Amino acid sequence: MTTSTRDADTPAAHTAKTEANPAADAGRNQCLQLRGRLAASRVVLAAALAVAVLAGGLMLFGAYRLTSDESAQNHALTDREATEEVSGEVGDALAKVFSYTPDGVRATELDARRLLRGEAATQYRRLYGQLRKRVTEQKLTLTTRVVHTGVVSLDDHRARLLVFLDQTSTRDGDQPSTAAAQLAVTAERRGGEWRIVRLAAR
Amino acid sequence: MSGEEHAVVDVPEHVLGRWASWGAAAAAALFLAFSGWQLWQAETDEDLAYAAARDTVLDSGKRHLETLNSVRSGRIEDGLARWRAASTGPLRDELRRTGRSDAATLAKAGTTARAKVTDAAVVRLDTRAGTAELIATVHIRVSERGGAPTTDRKRLTAGLERTDDGWKLRAVGAVPAEGGKDDS
Repeated sequence: MTTSTRDADTPAAHTAKTEANPAADAGRNQCLQLRGRLAASRVVLAAALAVAVLAGGLMLFGAYRLTSDESAQNHALTDREATEEVSGEVGDALAKVFSYTPDGVRATELDARRLLRGEAATQYRRLYGQLRKRVTEQKLTLTTRVVHTGVVSLDDHRARLLVFLDQTSTRDGDQPSTAAAQLAVTAERRGGEWRIVRLAAR
Repeated sequence: MSGEEHAVVDVPEHVLGRWASWGAAAAAALFLAFSGWQLWQAETDEDLAYAAARDTVLDSGKRHLETLNSVRSGRIEDGLARWRAASTGPLRDELRRTGRSDAATLAKAGTTARAKVTDAAVVRLDTRAGTAELIATVHIRVSERGGAPTTDRKRLTAGLERTDDGWKLRAVGAVPAEGGKDDS
């Protein structure tokens, strides 16, 4: 059974093989060519994709660097409205907390409590605590006027300003005298309003 | 493995591969276009350019103010040349005019001054006209021949102008108390 099948099969298989060979070879060649071309085009495509991803990545990085550096994040002057707002609010606050009259000590204190926070509030309490008695006793008056305000840096929550002030002080009956003061001010936006958190003489 | 088997397996793989290739190419093109657009947006952003100009003005202004308020005895001519290099327009004209007498005065007193800008802010900037203003506080350590050094504090306003050689000072004024302004 097995031998007869083998005997019968062998010539048939042989003839089939010899006849099929050229066609199969051609197919295989075609297939190999196709594979070769495919492989080549895949390499080209992969290279092009890699270049595209790299170039795109570089451009994105460039855009990120341009928009995220310190200069770009600082909205002083670039956001005119916000710059004017913080200048105005901080200037008004300074004029208020650094102005007092013998009868208005309480008002100044209340303004300071509202407008100064953090370190600035502590500094102010120390200073004003010593001064308070003398203001009423010696009838001292101080008027502070903002001469120039410059915004050094500004973002949504924090601002740094340089403020030039003129301070005119009078002791009861004396001639008033005016002195120049320069302050570096740090302000923070709390509940939509700017509050002074740090003061430093310049 | 016969040729027929290859053909049967290859056709869908080939078609799928082509779809995948087209998809990848399209995605890459989109990504390129997007990132290019982002970069273009950032490079042409007026606010970014304005912010960069503001910082340039601030840096130049600080540097020039320090130069203009500094001089070394023994190298006065050098210092005066530096003053002129830091200035433009009316300020430079004035420095040219008064250069000789300035040098004589400084030499006579043996003045050495070193200025440091302690704080500064740009208060106005017109990039189109090429003009700007800043305010600054300056500490100047001055010593004269035989004398002990003193520290002078000044508050200044300065006008700047854009030149081919960068931003230069065209006017500098002290801001004394009472809000009066004397230009120097």
